[in-house]
Amino acid sequence: MNTQHWFKPYFDRLSSMSLAIALLTVLAMASAIGTVLKQNQELTDYLTQFGPLWYNVFISLGLFDMYHTPWFFGLLTFLMVSLCICLWRNVPTFLKEMRSRKVVITDKSLKGFHHLKHWKIKGIQADEASARVGKTLSEWEQKTGEEDGRIYIRGDKGRYHKWGYILVHGAILIILVGGWVGAQFGFRGTMTVVENSTDNTIRFLKGTRSDQLKMPFDVRCDNFFIDFYPTGMPKEFRSTLSILENGKVMVDHKDIIVNEPLFYKGVRIYQASFGDGGSEVSLRLYDPTSGKSRVIKTEVYKTWKDPDTGISLEITNFRPFNIENMAEAGEAKKFKDLGPAVEYIVRGPNLKAVKIKSFMNSFELDGQNRGQMIMVSMTGDDRDFQPFPLGLDVSKPTDWKLYTSFIEALNRRGGATDRDANFAAFKEAMTSVYGENRPEDFQQMGMRVLQAMSSLPNLPWPYIPVLEDYKQVYYTGLELTQDPGMNTVWVGSALLVIGLCIMFYVPHRKLWVVFKPVDQGVEITLGAMTNRNKLGFESEFNALLTRLDDSLAPQTNNRSAA
Amino acid sequence: MTAITASRFTLSGINRGLPGFARFWAYLGAIIGVSAYAMFGPDGYGEDGIFYFLTASAFSWIGIGAVAGLASGTALGMAKPSVTESKWSVNLVPFLDGALLMLLLTTVETFFEPSAANFNYLDQSNLLSGSIIMTMNVTLLASALLYITHLFAPASIVGRLATASAWVGIYAGGSALLLRWYESYMLDPAIGHAPVSNLYEVFILLFCITTIVYLTLERRYGARAMGAFVMPLVSAGVFFGIWLSAHGHAEIKPLVPALQSYWMKIHVPMNFIGYGSFAVACGAGMAYLVRERLEMRGAKASLLAVFPSLDQLDQLAYKAVAIGFPAFTLATILGAAWAAEAWGGYWSWDPKETWALIVWLVYGAYLHVRVSHGWKGHALAWWTVAGFLVTVFCFIGVNMYLSGLHSYGRL
Ligand code: HEM
Repeated sequence: MNTQHWFKPYFDRLSSMSLAIALLTVLAMASAIGTVLKQNQELTDYLTQFGPLWYNVFISLGLFDMYHTPWFFGLLTFLMVSLCICLWRNVPTFLKEMRSRKVVITDKSLKGFHHLKHWKIKGIQADEASARVGKTLSEWEQKTGEEDGRIYIRGDKGRYHKWGYILVHGAILIILVGGWVGAQFGFRGTMTVVENSTDNTIRFLKGTRSDQLKMPFDVRCDNFFIDFYPTGMPKEFRSTLSILENGKVMVDHKDIIVNEPLFYKGVRIYQASFGDGGSEVSLRLYDPTSGKSRVIKTEVYKTWKDPDTGISLEITNFRPFNIENMAEAGEAKKFKDLGPAVEYIVRGPNLKAVKIKSFMNSFELDGQNRGQMIMVSMTGDDRDFQPFPLGLDVSKPTDWKLYTSFIEALNRRGGATDRDANFAAFKEAMTSVYGENRPEDFQQMGMRVLQAMSSLPNLPWPYIPVLEDYKQVYYTGLELTQDPGMNTVWVGSALLVIGLCIMFYVPHRKLWVVFKPVDQGVEITLGAMTNRNKLGFESEFNALLTRLDDSLAPQTNNRSAA
Repeated sequence: MTAITASRFTLSGINRGLPGFARFWAYLGAIIGVSAYAMFGPDGYGEDGIFYFLTASAFSWIGIGAVAGLASGTALGMAKPSVTESKWSVNLVPFLDGALLMLLLTTVETFFEPSAANFNYLDQSNLLSGSIIMTMNVTLLASALLYITHLFAPASIVGRLATASAWVGIYAGGSALLLRWYESYMLDPAIGHAPVSNLYEVFILLFCITTIVYLTLERRYGARAMGAFVMPLVSAGVFFGIWLSAHGHAEIKPLVPALQSYWMKIHVPMNFIGYGSFAVACGAGMAYLVRERLEMRGAKASLLAVFPSLDQLDQLAYKAVAIGFPAFTLATILGAAWAAEAWGGYWSWDPKETWALIVWLVYGAYLHVRVSHGWKGHALAWWTVAGFLVTVFCFIGVNMYLSGLHSYGRL
């Protein structure tokens, strides 16, 4: 074939080392972009973050989903092409090099060796010397030859070193192909299944838009279970799943947990997340001035609207456990379960929308009932929840009675503010609620009422919703994947590691020993070289010289003869 | 050839010949015994691994394996003496000896553990491992100072003290980690887990591995001057570890479900062999750059004589990368395998994954730069330093600045 084709220069460049270095560097830098710029967020978020100009620049470069853009794919393809050409050019040469083991070597090329040694030995013939040397070199793969009266020994170690190169570069190619097959013919998406219901559609992001795909089977969640550590951290999520095809149960009640997926007809089903599946909740709405209340029933993810006041409650979440660290800063940790809580967003005319977390139980600290507590987040962000003690244990009618009587008694005094008047008003309220038999915890109750005096009148809402009852359902968040390229990737990975080990730890070491007969003896020249691990070879070579000296020395001869 | 001498440990004879070979086989037998017990033992291997191996039946399996290994090794070695010089045995026996010593040390430490009444999950301040980690901090810092001093007083005992101090640091750190493993079960068997689950624990692992990689190179090639560059890197880490511990990140915490997998025990340490080797390569690179500077300025011959030659430093850096690159490749693959099992896909372009890829590409490029001509040691030395900065970002920066699936080590 004519090697002077027009494409020859391009071909050379495509397989050149400089291109490899450039490609690796460019890929590294390109990959970094996507980690700094959060991928696959809502487009409107990007718009507010970057403004219209940069938003348009970024979106035309596909930077919001950059690992799937044509240009990133092009980079990877370029890498593949380069690897292919590189392999295509080098593999035949390397194979030939590994097979050919030239024994005869010229004095001139021997002189160029880094490791070189001369002996001149009397009283020993060339063939005798070569036999001894051959025996000493027993760990080396040897080949001997004779030319012009000289004897040559060639020794090799790690002759298959170049396979390392072939395996490494071939493996990267295989991995890239496997990845491409997976991306092209596989899928990966999430499915949320509420307890005791079924679903068959996965949802996933395609770029920054969401898309969906129907599975050829239905997944039923029979049960979902979470176990917690004493610290409130989740310890285990467990879903019991059944798989149905046309109503026929194919897999019955199989448990999956994180790290232990279910495999069905080429699709893997993973436990990924969980959440509220639309629990039924009953809320009691307390009027903070009168203490009167009524009950409403709704569900998580639903919005309840009050036609009279125009107030709406959007229920966002429900949790049966709320374990919090109750310790002050610097104290040893104290974990406590605050019990069930519901989260909702309150909206209404002339009201700022706020997010509230409302607990079912009244809050107890150091054995004392501190009354109900709600958490309020003005921003709607869960991290901005601030505790807001209501003071009263709203479930107790006596607390309300005492609170309202106290306000009435104060009003009768014209809103008196001095200590004595306050105290007298409180005593009057106590008497009107309990008569003369004060309950034992009346002091705690007094504290609660005082707290309520400072908090309840500040609330902007006409009523306080407090969780009264619930019936919980979870949804389990599953991840369904199919990846026909995955096994290819594993094969490539195994080859990659094996190749690297050969490349780095099996250097090709070569040596030649030339025996030149001279009068009454022999002149021996040893030349050796390695292509890797030059430091280590130094000592290997020195050790070899010592052993050769020993075997060539006359006394060794005597001993072995004896 | 200046500083690199074939300095050999005086007792190195015991790692060669029949004693070394037979021991190697005994270890091999013990490891096979443990694995066989884990796979075929009476109850099978559970996640609450550590106590599992403290039973009498486990010891008998391990013992039988060790004795059988010892016997076959001895027989083999006597039948064919040349096999006793096998590279595998000669190179691995010191590490296996070290591992055994570490286990024994940990066992001794468990006897000094305060009684269960003195600590609990909420108050872990009395746990013994804390003080042993402090010992490690002190010895590693001391060794950094001693290595630097050694540059200016090469003839004195300081150099040997530096090495000794580094060794003490490794044994303190390694045994403290093993002890922490044991302690995690003491706190609550439900919490117990291998000590590679948060930033603080893996930091200690990283110090130990970096120091081991460095000391191995030091012992093989006598390149003690490199210690003055590697150990300060470790010391910087030690200070960060102290900071973490002062901010309450040192506690033993239960594992989130995603980390409850045997993959964690394989993937994480393997990664740190990579990181540690890259740190050593960076140390060699810095030593190269400093020596180059000194030569240009015409520094005193006595100072230059402490350093290995430029060519040797270049080779040492390559050597470290040659350890780190395959280990890091394997670690990344193992991580992908774990991700495939836990998240449903082997690659998600998660920031940690992506940065691991970037690190890999950077060192891949380094290897190509080495082979291609035209680039000299100077540029390569800078490359190892820059590569290590990228590695550090992958290790810590990603946790601090970028969020993603790997957010267990969040600061
Ligand atoms: C762009 C495509 C690539 C080309 C053209 C290329 C080319 C080469 C060549 C010619 C060698 C020298 C082989 C020798 O003579 O020993 C080499 C070595 C090597 N390549 Fe590549 N390569 C490419 C991509 C990669 C990639 C992506 C990696 C993985 C990071 C890689 C890893 C290696 C390694 C580890 C070595 C050994 C370096 C050493 O001997 O120290 N190569 N490559």
